[in-house]
Amino acid sequence: MQFSQQKRTLEYKFRLFPSSSALSANLYIYAGDLPASFLQQLLKFMRVTIFFNLLVTALSIGSIPAAAADEVESVYRLGSGYPVGKTGLRIGGYASTKIGVPRADPWYFEVSDLSLFLTWDNGSRLRFFSELEVGDVLSAGEHQSLGIQKAHFEFERFYIDGLVNNNLTVRVGKFLTPIGQWNLIHAAPLVWTTFRPVATENLFSTHAAGLMFYGSVSVASRQLEYSVYGDMSESIDPHRSKNPFENAAGAHLRYFLNDTLQIGASFANFVLNGLQPTRYYLAGLDIAWSYQQYELSSEIVYRTNAHANIESAWQGFVQSIIPVSEHWFVVGRYEFFEQPQDETGQVGLLGLAYRPLPPLVWKLEYRLGTNNETLAPDGLSASFAILF
Amino acid sequence: MTMRIAYALLAALLFAWLPARAAEPLAVITAAANPLDTLSLDDLKLVYLRKSQMDTEGNRWIPLNLPVADPLRRGFSLALFSLLPEEQEDYWNLQYFNGISPPKVMASEEAMLRFVASTTGSIGYVRKQKVDNRVKVLRLITPPAAK
Repeated sequence: MQFSQQKRTLEYKFRLFPSSSALSANLYIYAGDLPASFLQQLLKFMRVTIFFNLLVTALSIGSIPAAAADEVESVYRLGSGYPVGKTGLRIGGYASTKIGVPRADPWYFEVSDLSLFLTWDNGSRLRFFSELEVGDVLSAGEHQSLGIQKAHFEFERFYIDGLVNNNLTVRVGKFLTPIGQWNLIHAAPLVWTTFRPVATENLFSTHAAGLMFYGSVSVASRQLEYSVYGDMSESIDPHRSKNPFENAAGAHLRYFLNDTLQIGASFANFVLNGLQPTRYYLAGLDIAWSYQQYELSSEIVYRTNAHANIESAWQGFVQSIIPVSEHWFVVGRYEFFEQPQDETGQVGLLGLAYRPLPPLVWKLEYRLGTNNETLAPDGLSASFAILF
Repeated sequence: MTMRIAYALLAALLFAWLPARAAEPLAVITAAANPLDTLSLDDLKLVYLRKSQMDTEGNRWIPLNLPVADPLRRGFSLALFSLLPEEQEDYWNLQYFNGISPPKVMASEEAMLRFVASTTGSIGYVRKQKVDNRVKVLRLITPPAAK
Protein backbone atom coordinates (compact mmCIF):
# COMPACT_ATOMS: atom_id res chain seq x y z
CA MET A 1 0.00 0.00 0.00
CA GLN A 2 1.40 3.42 -0.89
CA PHE A 3 0.53 7.07 -1.34
CA SER A 4 1.20 8.86 -4.60
CA GLN A 5 1.80 12.55 -3.88
CA GLN A 6 1.59 13.41 -7.60
CA LYS A 7 -1.74 11.69 -8.31
CA ARG A 8 -3.11 12.38 -4.79
CA THR A 9 -4.19 8.73 -4.59
CA LEU A 10 -3.86 5.89 -2.09
CA GLU A 11 -2.88 2.78 -4.02
CA TYR A 12 -3.53 -0.66 -2.55
CA LYS A 13 -2.13 -3.65 -4.45
CA PHE A 14 -3.68 -6.97 -3.50
CA ARG A 15 -1.97 -10.19 -4.59
CA LEU A 16 -3.14 -13.66 -3.65
CA PHE A 17 0.32 -15.06 -4.44
CA PRO A 18 3.09 -12.67 -3.39
CA SER A 19 5.52 -13.74 -6.13
CA SER A 20 3.04 -13.72 -8.98
CA SER A 21 0.72 -11.16 -10.52
CA ALA A 22 -1.90 -13.89 -11.06
CA LEU A 23 -5.08 -13.12 -9.14
CA SER A 24 -4.03 -9.60 -8.28
CA ALA A 25 -5.97 -6.37 -8.09
CA ASN A 26 -5.18 -2.71 -7.62
CA LEU A 27 -7.42 -0.39 -5.65
CA TYR A 28 -7.05 3.39 -6.03
CA ILE A 29 -8.62 5.85 -3.60
CA TYR A 30 -8.57 9.55 -4.50
CA ALA A 31 -7.25 11.49 -1.54
CA GLY A 32 -8.26 14.98 -2.65
CA ASP A 33 -6.77 17.77 -0.55
CA LEU A 34 -6.23 15.75 2.62
CA PRO A 35 -2.88 16.66 4.23
CA ALA A 36 0.02 14.31 3.41
CA SER A 37 0.83 13.76 7.11
CA PHE A 38 -2.73 12.65 7.76
CA LEU A 39 -2.56 10.26 4.79
CA GLN A 40 0.72 8.76 6.02
CA GLN A 41 -0.92 8.06 9.37
CA LEU A 42 -3.93 6.59 7.59
CA LEU A 43 -1.61 4.29 5.62
CA LYS A 44 0.09 3.03 8.79
CA PHE A 45 -3.29 2.46 10.38
CA MET A 46 -4.67 0.56 7.38
CA ARG A 47 -1.63 -1.69 7.05
CA VAL A 48 -1.81 -2.83 10.64
CA THR A 49 -5.60 -3.05 10.65
CA ILE A 50 -5.70 -5.27 7.56
CA PHE A 51 -3.06 -7.59 8.99
CA PHE A 52 -4.84 -7.99 12.29
CA ASN A 53 -8.27 -8.30 10.77
CA LEU A 54 -6.95 -11.28 8.81
CA LEU A 55 -5.32 -12.70 11.94
CA VAL A 56 -8.42 -12.34 14.07
CA THR A 57 -10.70 -13.72 11.36
CA ALA A 58 -8.44 -16.74 11.01
CA LEU A 59 -8.41 -17.26 14.76
CA SER A 60 -12.15 -16.93 15.02
CA ILE A 61 -12.90 -19.80 12.63
CA GLY A 62 -13.12 -22.53 15.16
CA SER A 63 -15.13 -23.77 18.04
CA ILE A 64 -18.70 -22.55 17.92
CA PRO A 65 -20.90 -24.11 20.60
CA ALA A 66 -23.19 -26.77 19.17
CA ALA A 67 -26.23 -25.40 20.94
CA ALA A 68 -25.69 -21.83 19.73
CA ALA A 69 -29.07 -21.86 18.01
CA ASP A 70 -30.78 -21.59 21.41
CA GLU A 71 -29.10 -18.29 22.12
CA VAL A 72 -31.30 -15.22 21.85
CA GLU A 73 -30.58 -13.72 18.47
CA SER A 74 -27.62 -11.38 18.88
CA VAL A 75 -28.75 -7.90 17.99
CA TYR A 76 -26.94 -4.59 18.24
CA ARG A 77 -27.46 -2.82 21.53
CA LEU A 78 -26.09 0.64 22.33
CA GLY A 79 -23.15 0.36 24.69
CA SER A 80 -22.29 -3.25 24.03
CA GLY A 81 -21.03 -3.36 20.46
CA TYR A 82 -22.03 -5.44 17.49
CA PRO A 83 -21.44 -9.21 17.75
CA VAL A 84 -20.35 -10.63 14.40
CA GLY A 85 -22.51 -13.74 14.21
CA LYS A 86 -21.20 -16.55 16.40
CA THR A 87 -17.55 -15.91 15.56
CA GLY A 88 -16.64 -14.41 18.94
CA LEU A 89 -15.87 -11.10 17.27
CA ARG A 90 -17.44 -7.92 18.59
CA ILE A 91 -17.07 -4.47 17.07
CA GLY A 92 -17.89 -1.25 18.87
CA GLY A 93 -16.30 1.81 20.36
CA TYR A 94 -17.04 5.29 21.58
CA ALA A 95 -17.09 8.87 20.36
CA SER A 96 -16.94 12.20 22.11
CA THR A 97 -17.12 15.83 21.19
CA LYS A 98 -16.40 18.90 23.29
CA ILE A 99 -16.53 22.69 23.32
CA GLY A 100 -14.09 24.57 25.53
CA VAL A 101 -14.28 28.22 26.50
CA PRO A 102 -11.14 28.83 28.58
CA ARG A 103 -11.13 32.08 30.52
CA ALA A 104 -7.84 33.33 29.05
CA ASP A 105 -7.67 31.53 25.68
CA PRO A 106 -9.77 31.34 22.51
CA TRP A 107 -12.75 28.96 22.40
CA TYR A 108 -12.48 25.71 20.51
CA PHE A 109 -14.60 22.81 19.32
CA GLU A 110 -13.38 19.25 18.82
CA VAL A 111 -14.74 15.88 17.87
CA SER A 112 -12.11 14.73 20.28
CA ASP A 113 -12.28 10.93 20.08
CA LEU A 114 -13.52 8.29 17.74
CA SER A 115 -12.38 4.95 19.10
CA LEU A 116 -13.07 1.58 17.56
CA PHE A 117 -12.95 -1.61 19.63
CA LEU A 118 -12.35 -5.00 18.11
CA THR A 119 -12.76 -7.87 20.55
CA TRP A 120 -12.39 -11.56 19.90
CA ASP A 121 -13.29 -14.18 22.48
CA ASN A 122 -14.60 -17.55 21.32
CA GLY A 123 -14.47 -19.23 24.72
CA SER A 124 -10.94 -20.59 24.36
CA ARG A 125 -8.00 -19.61 26.58
CA LEU A 126 -6.96 -16.87 24.18
CA ARG A 127 -8.71 -13.58 23.57
CA PHE A 128 -7.84 -10.43 21.70
CA PHE A 129 -8.70 -6.77 22.16
CA SER A 130 -7.76 -3.67 20.23
CA GLU A 131 -8.73 -0.01 20.38
CA LEU A 132 -7.89 2.16 17.43
CA GLU A 133 -8.43 5.83 18.00
CA VAL A 134 -8.78 8.76 15.67
CA GLY A 135 -8.03 11.77 17.83
CA ASP A 136 -9.25 15.32 17.13
CA VAL A 137 -11.19 14.08 14.09
CA LEU A 138 -12.69 17.49 13.50
CA SER A 139 -11.69 20.72 15.13
CA ALA A 140 -12.51 24.39 14.93
CA GLY A 141 -11.82 27.47 17.00
CA GLU A 142 -11.84 31.21 17.30
CA HIS A 143 -8.85 31.40 14.94
CA GLN A 144 -9.35 28.17 13.01
CA SER A 145 -12.04 27.06 10.59
CA LEU A 146 -13.61 23.63 10.83
CA GLY A 147 -11.24 20.99 9.49
CA ILE A 148 -9.27 17.81 10.06
CA GLN A 149 -5.88 19.48 10.44
CA LYS A 150 -5.29 18.00 13.88
CA ALA A 151 -6.62 14.52 13.14
CA HIS A 152 -4.30 11.66 14.07
CA PHE A 153 -4.46 7.89 14.47
CA GLU A 154 -3.31 6.02 17.50
CA PHE A 155 -3.33 2.45 18.73
CA GLU A 156 -4.62 3.02 22.23
CA ARG A 157 -4.65 -0.66 23.09
CA PHE A 158 -3.73 -3.81 21.28
CA TYR A 159 -3.23 -7.04 23.17
CA ILE A 160 -3.71 -10.76 23.41
CA ASP A 161 -4.70 -12.36 26.73
CA GLY A 162 -3.76 -15.91 27.56
CA LEU A 163 -5.73 -17.40 30.46
CA VAL A 164 -3.41 -19.61 32.47
CA ASN A 165 -5.83 -20.48 35.26
CA ASN A 166 -8.62 -18.85 37.22
CA ASN A 167 -6.16 -16.64 39.09
CA LEU A 168 -3.70 -15.72 36.39
CA THR A 169 -3.90 -14.22 32.90
CA VAL A 170 -0.93 -13.18 30.78
CA ARG A 171 -1.34 -10.12 28.57
CA VAL A 172 1.03 -9.31 25.71
CA GLY A 173 0.79 -6.07 23.76
CA LYS A 174 -0.10 -2.46 24.44
CA PHE A 175 -2.42 -1.72 27.36
CA LEU A 176 -3.48 1.03 29.75
CA THR A 177 -0.99 1.56 32.55
CA PRO A 178 -2.57 0.22 35.75
CA ILE A 179 -1.94 3.25 37.94
CA GLY A 180 -5.03 4.34 39.88
CA GLN A 181 -8.54 3.69 38.58
CA TRP A 182 -9.30 6.60 36.30
CA ASN A 183 -6.67 5.69 33.73
CA LEU A 184 -8.19 2.24 33.32
CA ILE A 185 -11.68 3.56 32.56
CA HIS A 186 -10.80 6.93 31.08
CA ALA A 187 -13.20 6.78 28.08
CA ALA A 188 -15.41 9.86 27.89
CA PRO A 189 -18.75 7.97 28.19
CA LEU A 190 -17.56 6.24 31.38
CA VAL A 191 -16.33 9.24 33.34
CA TRP A 192 -18.22 12.21 34.74
CA THR A 193 -16.14 15.14 33.55
CA THR A 194 -14.89 16.39 30.18
CA PHE A 195 -11.34 16.78 31.49
CA ARG A 196 -9.56 14.12 33.47
CA PRO A 197 -7.81 15.03 36.73
CA VAL A 198 -4.18 16.06 36.28
CA ALA A 199 -3.02 13.35 38.69
CA THR A 200 -4.34 10.62 36.40
CA GLU A 201 -1.99 11.38 33.52
CA ASN A 202 0.67 13.98 34.27
CA LEU A 203 3.38 12.07 36.11
CA PHE A 204 3.45 8.81 34.12
CA SER A 205 2.67 7.35 30.72
CA THR A 206 -0.98 6.40 30.37
CA HIS A 207 -0.01 3.45 28.16
CA ALA A 208 2.48 0.64 28.47
CA ALA A 209 3.58 -1.95 25.93
CA GLY A 210 5.03 -5.25 26.98
CA LEU A 211 3.97 -8.05 29.26
CA MET A 212 1.47 -8.05 32.11
CA PHE A 213 0.45 -10.76 34.56
CA TYR A 214 -2.89 -10.11 36.17
CA GLY A 215 -5.73 -11.83 37.95
CA SER A 216 -7.42 -12.08 41.30
CA VAL A 217 -7.20 -14.11 44.46
CA SER A 218 -9.45 -14.38 47.47
CA VAL A 219 -8.13 -12.75 50.65
CA ALA A 220 -10.29 -12.86 53.78
CA SER A 221 -13.26 -13.88 51.61
CA ARG A 222 -12.85 -10.79 49.45
CA GLN A 223 -11.31 -10.30 46.02
CA LEU A 224 -7.80 -8.95 45.68
CA GLU A 225 -7.04 -8.04 42.07
CA TYR A 226 -3.43 -7.67 41.04
CA SER A 227 -1.46 -6.72 37.95
CA VAL A 228 2.29 -6.78 37.49
CA TYR A 229 3.78 -5.47 34.26
CA GLY A 230 6.99 -4.81 32.41
CA ASP A 231 7.10 -2.20 29.65
CA MET A 232 9.35 -2.08 26.60
CA SER A 233 7.62 0.68 24.63
CA GLU A 234 10.93 1.87 23.21
CA SER A 235 11.50 -1.49 21.53
CA ILE A 236 8.06 -2.80 20.63
CA ASP A 237 5.57 0.05 20.22
CA PRO A 238 5.96 1.94 16.94
CA HIS A 239 2.71 3.85 17.63
CA ARG A 240 3.78 5.47 20.86
CA SER A 241 1.24 7.47 22.77
CA LYS A 242 1.85 10.91 24.21
CA ASN A 243 4.60 11.06 26.84
CA PRO A 244 5.46 7.33 26.55
CA PHE A 245 7.59 5.14 28.76
CA GLU A 246 10.99 4.16 27.48
CA ASN A 247 10.86 1.20 29.83
CA ALA A 248 8.99 0.53 33.02
CA ALA A 249 8.03 -2.02 35.61
CA GLY A 250 5.12 -1.72 37.99
CA ALA A 251 2.26 -3.26 39.88
CA HIS A 252 -1.24 -2.41 40.97
CA LEU A 253 -3.37 -3.99 43.70
CA ARG A 254 -7.08 -3.49 44.27
CA TYR A 255 -8.97 -4.90 47.23
CA PHE A 256 -12.76 -5.04 47.45
CA LEU A 257 -13.64 -4.37 51.07
CA ASN A 258 -17.33 -4.95 50.30
CA ASP A 259 -19.71 -4.53 47.36
CA THR A 260 -19.51 -0.73 47.57
CA LEU A 261 -15.95 0.07 48.63
CA GLN A 262 -12.60 -0.69 46.98
CA ILE A 263 -9.08 0.51 47.65
CA GLY A 264 -6.02 0.33 45.42
CA ALA A 265 -2.27 0.85 45.51
CA SER A 266 0.10 1.44 42.57
CA PHE A 267 3.85 1.23 42.23
CA ALA A 268 5.98 1.98 39.16
CA ASN A 269 9.62 2.39 38.29
CA PHE A 270 10.21 3.92 34.85
CA VAL A 271 12.12 6.06 32.39
CA LEU A 272 10.08 8.42 30.21
CA ASN A 273 10.92 8.67 26.56
CA GLY A 274 12.34 11.98 25.39
CA LEU A 275 13.00 13.47 28.81
CA GLN A 276 16.25 13.38 30.71
CA PRO A 277 17.37 9.76 31.14
CA THR A 278 16.19 9.66 34.70
CA ARG A 279 14.58 6.76 36.46
CA TYR A 280 11.41 7.70 38.30
CA TYR A 281 9.72 5.97 41.20
CA LEU A 282 5.99 6.37 41.62
CA ALA A 283 3.60 5.27 44.33
CA GLY A 284 -0.13 5.85 44.37
CA LEU A 285 -3.27 5.15 46.37
CA ASP A 286 -6.83 5.14 45.15
CA ILE A 287 -10.20 4.61 46.77
CA ALA A 288 -13.71 4.39 45.35
CA TRP A 289 -17.03 4.14 47.12
CA SER A 290 -20.38 3.89 45.38
CA TYR A 291 -23.83 3.31 46.79
CA GLN A 292 -26.89 3.35 44.58
CA GLN A 293 -25.95 6.30 42.35
CA TYR A 294 -23.77 8.20 44.82
CA GLU A 295 -20.02 8.04 44.29
CA LEU A 296 -16.94 9.25 46.10
CA SER A 297 -13.48 8.62 44.73
CA SER A 298 -9.94 9.81 45.24
CA GLU A 299 -6.50 9.13 43.82
CA ILE A 300 -3.13 10.37 44.96
CA VAL A 301 0.29 9.81 43.36
CA TYR A 302 3.81 10.66 44.44
CA ARG A 303 6.73 10.62 41.99
CA THR A 304 10.36 10.95 42.93
CA ASN A 305 13.69 10.31 41.19
CA ALA A 306 17.44 10.17 41.69
CA HIS A 307 18.18 13.33 39.65
CA ALA A 308 19.27 16.35 41.69
CA ASN A 309 17.53 18.90 39.42
CA ILE A 310 14.15 17.24 39.07
CA GLU A 311 11.85 17.79 42.00
CA SER A 312 9.58 15.14 43.41
CA ALA A 313 5.86 15.78 43.04
CA TRP A 314 2.56 14.97 44.74
CA GLN A 315 -0.70 15.12 42.82
CA GLY A 316 -4.21 14.05 43.67
CA PHE A 317 -7.94 14.64 43.54
CA VAL A 318 -11.20 13.95 45.37
CA GLN A 319 -14.43 13.70 43.39
CA SER A 320 -18.05 13.24 44.39
CA ILE A 321 -21.14 12.43 42.36
CA ILE A 322 -24.60 13.23 43.67
CA PRO A 323 -27.70 12.14 41.78
CA VAL A 324 -30.38 14.84 41.73
CA SER A 325 -32.86 12.82 39.70
CA GLU A 326 -32.87 9.60 37.71
CA HIS A 327 -30.80 11.07 34.88
CA TRP A 328 -29.17 14.22 36.32
CA PHE A 329 -26.00 14.27 38.42
CA VAL A 330 -24.00 16.98 40.14
CA VAL A 331 -20.23 16.55 40.00
CA GLY A 332 -17.76 18.21 42.35
CA ARG A 333 -14.00 17.81 42.32
CA TYR A 334 -10.97 19.23 44.04
CA GLU A 335 -7.49 18.71 42.59
CA PHE A 336 -3.98 19.66 43.60
CA PHE A 337 -0.81 19.12 41.63
CA GLU A 338 2.79 19.96 42.31
CA GLN A 339 4.50 20.92 39.08
CA PRO A 340 8.19 21.33 38.23
CA GLN A 341 8.07 24.83 36.69
CA ASP A 342 5.50 26.45 38.94
CA GLU A 343 3.99 26.54 42.38
CA THR A 344 1.48 23.90 43.41
CA GLY A 345 -1.68 24.16 41.33
CA GLN A 346 -5.17 23.79 42.75
CA VAL A 347 -8.44 23.46 40.89
CA GLY A 348 -12.06 23.18 41.86
CA LEU A 349 -14.60 21.82 39.40
CA LEU A 350 -18.37 21.99 39.52
CA GLY A 351 -20.35 20.21 36.87
CA LEU A 352 -23.62 18.78 35.77
CA ALA A 353 -24.07 15.52 33.88
CA TYR A 354 -27.18 14.30 32.09
CA ARG A 355 -27.37 10.59 31.29
CA PRO A 356 -30.58 9.72 29.44
CA LEU A 357 -29.19 6.19 29.03
CA PRO A 358 -26.08 4.64 30.61
CA PRO A 359 -24.06 4.71 27.35
CA LEU A 360 -24.87 8.40 26.66
CA VAL A 361 -23.74 11.40 28.64
CA TRP A 362 -23.92 15.17 28.27
CA LYS A 363 -21.58 17.16 30.54
CA LEU A 364 -21.25 20.80 31.49
CA GLU A 365 -18.57 21.97 33.90
CA TYR A 366 -16.62 24.97 35.13
CA ARG A 367 -13.05 24.87 36.47
CA LEU A 368 -11.48 27.53 38.62
CA GLY A 369 -8.09 27.40 40.29
CA THR A 370 -4.70 28.84 41.08
CA ASN A 371 -1.37 28.14 39.33
CA ASN A 372 -3.36 25.97 36.92
CA GLU A 373 -2.88 27.81 33.60
CA THR A 374 -0.75 25.09 32.01
CA LEU A 375 -2.32 21.85 33.20
CA ALA A 376 -5.98 22.63 33.97
CA PRO A 377 -6.93 26.17 32.94
CA ASP A 378 -9.99 28.02 34.24
CA GLY A 379 -13.02 27.98 32.02
CA LEU A 380 -16.28 26.48 30.91
CA SER A 381 -16.58 23.30 28.90
CA ALA A 382 -19.36 21.12 27.56
CA SER A 383 -19.22 17.72 25.96
CA PHE A 384 -21.19 14.78 24.68
CA ALA A 385 -20.03 11.17 24.65
CA ILE A 386 -21.52 7.92 23.47
CA LEU A 387 -20.50 4.31 23.87
CA PHE A 388 -21.61 2.34 20.82
CA MET B 1 -73.90 -16.27 50.47
CA THR B 2 -72.41 -19.47 49.05
CA MET B 3 -70.92 -17.49 46.19
CA ARG B 4 -69.29 -15.04 48.66
CA ILE B 5 -67.69 -17.88 50.53
CA ALA B 6 -66.50 -19.36 47.25
CA TYR B 7 -64.95 -16.01 46.16
CA ALA B 8 -63.29 -15.59 49.55
CA LEU B 9 -61.81 -19.08 49.34
CA LEU B 10 -60.61 -18.43 45.79
CA ALA B 11 -58.97 -15.18 46.83
CA ALA B 12 -57.31 -16.84 49.80
CA LEU B 13 -56.01 -19.60 47.56
CA LEU B 14 -54.69 -17.04 45.08
CA PHE B 15 -52.86 -15.05 47.77
CA ALA B 16 -51.47 -18.25 49.22
CA TRP B 17 -50.22 -19.29 45.79
CA LEU B 18 -48.65 -15.98 44.70
CA PRO B 19 -45.92 -15.66 47.35
CA ALA B 20 -45.12 -19.33 46.98
CA ARG B 21 -44.54 -18.80 43.27
CA ALA B 22 -42.43 -15.68 43.88
CA ALA B 23 -40.24 -17.64 46.28
CA GLU B 24 -39.97 -20.64 43.97
CA PRO B 25 -36.38 -21.86 44.21
CA LEU B 26 -34.07 -21.64 41.22
CA ALA B 27 -31.66 -24.45 40.50
CA VAL B 28 -28.19 -23.40 39.37
CA ILE B 29 -27.21 -26.04 36.83
CA THR B 30 -24.23 -27.32 34.94
CA ALA B 31 -23.68 -30.30 32.63
CA ALA B 32 -24.29 -33.71 34.23
CA ALA B 33 -20.76 -34.75 33.27
CA ASN B 34 -19.15 -31.81 35.11
CA PRO B 35 -17.14 -33.13 38.09
CA LEU B 36 -18.09 -30.04 40.12
CA ASP B 37 -20.83 -30.84 42.66
CA THR B 38 -21.42 -27.51 44.35
CA LEU B 39 -20.60 -23.83 43.98
CA SER B 40 -20.65 -21.20 46.72
CA LEU B 41 -22.74 -18.07 46.31
CA ASP B 42 -19.58 -15.92 46.25
CA ASP B 43 -18.05 -18.04 43.49
CA LEU B 44 -21.31 -17.93 41.54
CA LYS B 45 -21.28 -14.13 41.80
CA LEU B 46 -17.75 -14.01 40.36
CA VAL B 47 -18.73 -16.30 37.50
CA TYR B 48 -21.72 -14.11 36.64
CA LEU B 49 -19.60 -10.94 36.86
CA ARG B 50 -17.14 -12.62 34.44
CA LYS B 51 -14.40 -12.19 37.05
CA SER B 52 -13.96 -15.91 37.50
CA GLN B 53 -13.05 -17.21 34.07
CA MET B 54 -12.33 -20.90 34.54
CA ASP B 55 -13.74 -23.85 36.44
CA THR B 56 -11.59 -26.26 38.46
CA GLU B 57 -11.04 -28.42 35.34
CA GLY B 58 -9.57 -25.50 33.41
CA ASN B 59 -12.63 -25.02 31.16
CA ARG B 60 -13.83 -21.49 30.49
CA TRP B 61 -17.01 -20.69 32.38
CA ILE B 62 -19.89 -19.85 30.07
CA PRO B 63 -22.50 -18.19 32.31
CA LEU B 64 -25.99 -18.01 30.83
CA ASN B 65 -28.90 -15.70 31.52
CA LEU B 66 -32.53 -15.54 30.51
CA PRO B 67 -33.83 -12.37 28.81
CA VAL B 68 -33.89 -9.22 30.97
CA ALA B 69 -37.69 -9.13 31.22
CA ASP B 70 -37.98 -12.77 32.34
CA PRO B 71 -39.11 -12.95 36.00
CA LEU B 72 -36.61 -15.76 36.65
CA ARG B 73 -33.74 -13.58 35.42
CA ARG B 74 -34.88 -10.70 37.58
CA GLY B 75 -35.21 -12.95 40.61
CA PHE B 76 -31.80 -14.50 39.98
CA SER B 77 -30.20 -11.07 39.63
CA LEU B 78 -31.78 -9.85 42.87
CA ALA B 79 -30.77 -13.00 44.73
CA LEU B 80 -27.18 -12.81 43.57
CA PHE B 81 -26.42 -9.07 43.44
CA SER B 82 -29.40 -7.35 45.10
CA LEU B 83 -29.69 -5.48 41.81
CA LEU B 84 -32.02 -5.73 38.84
CA PRO B 85 -30.43 -6.46 35.45
CA GLU B 86 -30.83 -2.85 34.27
CA GLU B 87 -29.06 -1.62 37.43
CA GLN B 88 -25.95 -3.52 36.36
CA GLU B 89 -25.66 -1.72 33.05
CA ASP B 90 -22.91 0.64 34.29
CA TYR B 91 -20.84 -2.35 35.34
CA TRP B 92 -21.19 -4.00 31.92
CA ASN B 93 -20.33 -0.76 30.14
CA LEU B 94 -17.06 -0.68 32.07
CA GLN B 95 -16.40 -4.32 31.26
CA TYR B 96 -17.18 -3.72 27.59
CA PHE B 97 -14.50 -1.02 27.56
CA ASN B 98 -12.09 -3.78 28.60
CA GLY B 99 -13.31 -6.31 26.08
CA ILE B 100 -15.46 -8.39 28.45
CA SER B 101 -19.01 -9.25 27.38
CA PRO B 102 -21.92 -10.05 29.72
CA PRO B 103 -23.26 -13.63 30.00
CA LYS B 104 -24.97 -15.10 26.94
CA VAL B 105 -28.74 -14.84 26.90
CA MET B 106 -30.83 -17.95 26.25
CA ALA B 107 -34.34 -17.77 24.85
CA SER B 108 -36.02 -20.03 27.43
CA GLU B 109 -35.45 -22.48 30.26
CA GLU B 110 -35.52 -25.37 27.78
CA ALA B 111 -32.91 -23.61 25.64
CA MET B 112 -30.84 -23.09 28.80
CA LEU B 113 -31.11 -26.80 29.66
CA ARG B 114 -30.09 -27.85 26.13
CA PHE B 115 -27.12 -25.49 26.04
CA VAL B 116 -25.90 -26.45 29.51
CA ALA B 117 -26.26 -30.17 28.79
CA SER B 118 -24.20 -29.95 25.62
CA THR B 119 -21.59 -27.29 26.41
CA THR B 120 -18.65 -27.87 28.72
CA GLY B 121 -18.20 -25.11 31.29
CA SER B 122 -21.64 -23.63 30.85
CA ILE B 123 -23.70 -22.70 33.89
CA GLY B 124 -27.30 -21.53 34.04
CA TYR B 125 -30.46 -21.57 36.12
CA VAL B 126 -33.98 -22.93 35.75
CA ARG B 127 -36.91 -23.54 38.07
CA LYS B 128 -36.24 -26.51 40.31
CA GLN B 129 -38.99 -28.64 38.81
CA LYS B 130 -37.57 -28.19 35.30
CA VAL B 131 -34.34 -29.98 36.20
CA ASP B 132 -33.85 -33.34 34.49
CA ASN B 133 -31.02 -35.86 34.17
CA ARG B 134 -29.21 -33.93 31.43
CA VAL B 135 -27.91 -31.49 34.03
CA LYS B 136 -26.64 -31.38 37.58
CA VAL B 137 -27.78 -28.95 40.30
CA LEU B 138 -24.93 -27.01 41.89
CA ARG B 139 -27.06 -25.14 44.37
CA LEU B 140 -30.57 -23.84 44.97
CA ILE B 141 -31.33 -20.15 45.22
CA THR B 142 -34.48 -18.59 46.57
CA PRO B 143 -35.16 -15.25 44.89
CA PRO B 144 -36.28 -12.43 47.18
CA ALA B 145 -39.55 -10.63 46.58
CA ALA B 146 -39.45 -8.49 43.44
CA LYS B 147 -38.27 -4.88 43.82
